[in-house]
Amino acid sequence: MGLIGNRTLAAVTSAALALTGLAPVAGWAAAGDKTLTGGFDVGPGGFPGNFNPLMATTGYMALTLNYQPLFVYDGKLSQIVGQLAKSYTVSDDKKTYTITLQPDVKWQDGTPFTSADVAFTLKLAQDKTSGSVYVDRLSAITDVETPDAHTVVLKLSKVNLSLLDTLTKLMMLPKHKLEKIDPSTLPRNPYWTDHPIATGPFVFDKYVTDQYVEYSRFKEYWRGEPKIARVVNRYFKTTAGAVSALKSGEIQISYVNADDLSAFKGDKGFHVIKGNSFVVNYLGFNFGAKIWDNQKVRQAVMYAINRKAIVDSLYGGMAKVANCGYVVDRYVPKGLNDYAYDPEKARQLLKEAGWDKINGSKPIKVLTYYNTQLSDNVLGAMQAMLSQVGINIVPRDVDMSTYNATIYATTPDYDSFGLVYAGLTNGPDPSNLNIGLNASQIPPNGSNYTRVNLPGVSKAFDTALSDADGSKYDSDFQNVCKAMNTDLPWATLWVTDRFGVASAKLKDFVWMPAPGGGPYASHPEKWDIAN
Amino acid sequence: MLRYTLKRLAAGAAMLIALSMLVFILLRLAPGDPVDAYIDPMVKMSAADMARLRAELGLDKPLPVQYLIWLRDVLHGDFGRSLQRTGEPVLALIGSRIGPTLLLMLSGFGIAIIFGLIAGVVSAVKRGSVRDGTLLAVAAVGVSSPAFLTALIGLYLFSVVLHWAPSGGMLTPAMPFSLHDLLSHLILPALILAFYQSALVTRYMRSSMLEVLTQDYIRTARAKGVRENRIVSHHAVRNALLPVVTLIGSTLGLAVGGAIFIESVFNWPGMGLLLVNAVELRDYPVIMGSTLVIGAWVIVMNIATDLVYAVIDPRVKVS
Repeated sequence: MGLIGNRTLAAVTSAALALTGLAPVAGWAAAGDKTLTGGFDVGPGGFPGNFNPLMATTGYMALTLNYQPLFVYDGKLSQIVGQLAKSYTVSDDKKTYTITLQPDVKWQDGTPFTSADVAFTLKLAQDKTSGSVYVDRLSAITDVETPDAHTVVLKLSKVNLSLLDTLTKLMMLPKHKLEKIDPSTLPRNPYWTDHPIATGPFVFDKYVTDQYVEYSRFKEYWRGEPKIARVVNRYFKTTAGAVSALKSGEIQISYVNADDLSAFKGDKGFHVIKGNSFVVNYLGFNFGAKIWDNQKVRQAVMYAINRKAIVDSLYGGMAKVANCGYVVDRYVPKGLNDYAYDPEKARQLLKEAGWDKINGSKPIKVLTYYNTQLSDNVLGAMQAMLSQVGINIVPRDVDMSTYNATIYATTPDYDSFGLVYAGLTNGPDPSNLNIGLNASQIPPNGSNYTRVNLPGVSKAFDTALSDADGSKYDSDFQNVCKAMNTDLPWATLWVTDRFGVASAKLKDFVWMPAPGGGPYASHPEKWDIAN
Repeated sequence: MLRYTLKRLAAGAAMLIALSMLVFILLRLAPGDPVDAYIDPMVKMSAADMARLRAELGLDKPLPVQYLIWLRDVLHGDFGRSLQRTGEPVLALIGSRIGPTLLLMLSGFGIAIIFGLIAGVVSAVKRGSVRDGTLLAVAAVGVSSPAFLTALIGLYLFSVVLHWAPSGGMLTPAMPFSLHDLLSHLILPALILAFYQSALVTRYMRSSMLEVLTQDYIRTARAKGVRENRIVSHHAVRNALLPVVTLIGSTLGLAVGGAIFIESVFNWPGMGLLLVNAVELRDYPVIMGSTLVIGAWVIVMNIATDLVYAVIDPRVKVS
């Protein structure tokens, strides 16, 4: 008999496994009161670790569990409706907004929510030292009057048709809690994670760094007591981690990548939620590199890329080809050039433009912060297609920090990003595109870092944004679309669908893969879990 | 031995300072800084806004000045604050992460040592058998599998397919603490961490045992009629352990590298996850503090290995 026989070895192994708890663990996520655990900050709409609404650029799905803005988009992201605002009127010159607040709204410490809180929040959001990302977007507001506890009057210096859209993202903050804090300390202030209060249905209880955030229901919520006792927002390093947690039943909702959908196909335990990303993907011509000035070159890029084939084969049909900065029907006019795949025409245009002398076969770096397998494949396909017509692109995917450092450099190295492969939110409010395309936004004034200086495009944006007659909004942005389609500041590619997966046990659960995670009317107080 | 230990510790401190300088320089050579990681390309930021943010974070000072300020503060016990939005003190962040990392690493190591030693002995004693071949094959897979690959396969198999273990984290959120909950979260990452280490220990133990089993004193013991089990357990294993102890000591220091991958995949709230997140966000104070702690761990483990070796083998003198 040997030193250690088979039986001994098996016994040691079994004992070790038993001691360490490795056993089927079904049901570890559900016990006690109803708790909804989700990956609310997974994917491009998430912003894990940010609890300061003044600094939120995304992550509204998690933020709106406890914070609330005056207005939100409806559940279809098609129109703006009131949330903490009960109603509003706009003056004929569009420069005065009178907002009536919901009655009986309370902060989570029981203090009434009033117009003074709205005025305080707006002032704080206009204060640069607070780290607010809304300073520029609220710059048209010159005065905030509070004639009574439930009425707010906003006076504007100029017409701003995007004001309500901006107000959907601005969460109301409690004056009585924050007025004693120096605004310049707010960007990194422990207040945001030390029992902050808001008006929403769930109270922020606990943040465990890099792990999860725990919320409990606010019993005196003005729309009624939430049905779920607790919500847990779990953080995941990757979307794949969230998918694993979904499949194993640890969480009930998460954003998922398109190529993860097959994992849920035919599984009756889950619902797949599909939505418009409202983000147009594009190849941005860096005009600072001085190789894209000739319009024929830009047209050649459009004709050389078989966008339909990429959408069909790589995105599995789950994207829509974009011929300008957006695909929302009411902003897209008829008669746009669809730039159907025509490599021969691309070669001809390049020849006419004298591409050999402009750049020829010299490599052009394509900078991108997309670093998934799918985006690598897409860039690979475009690289192959463009090389066939004589444009030699070299993809360079980097992290967001490197991307920003490259494009925001005081003296940019234009050769390091001859093109960018990126995305920009194009809706529900299309005016968002202005910051990336209007010549007035060329740094240091704004974020037009590819130095687009096309008068037709800038003029179309200026007209749309300053038009005092709101009824022309749609036709104005149709003109922007037309200018983009003709002048080609970008090679617009497609708008992809985005997906979420939710447990079939969730009831009255409103979730959508909205850009930035919303905000939209998600009514968390109605969410429930079937027993 | 005390003098030797003090000398090694002093050299270790000098190495830590050199390490901190190197990391500081490398960080600044990498593209992007905390402000770049902070902003969204869709938010209008002027050059003046970004300069103001950099000044607030102290990034506008010359690099040598920034380094000396950091070093001065560290020597006074102040590792600074995270540059991210919660602004937590670095020392508190690190303090909260050391425990989970030690738990994971030591559990992984404990499993690796137990399984590795047993498998190495069995393999050597049963040399040439099917059991030996199987253990060698498993060990070969273990040493040649990158930690991130093993982690992903393990996660998929044991969590997604078999539902035997949670997919990540250290404890179930919003649930009261329970030892079973902690162990159920720990076992999978610990086993995966142990996979590579136990393969290494198996191979070392096997070859060391094979060498010892051919020694004269083993033959003498057999000639005297000592039972085979006793020969192996009392004479062979004890002598074969020496080189394995060296291996365990040196890899215990370096195991933190494997833990970084494992922690990222399993969202285990340890030093590795903290460091990876900090690098992505260019959170300089956290990166510097974490590197210092990890560097100190490696240095101390190496010194400890030398000292333990001298204790185990009286023939070895440290000086």
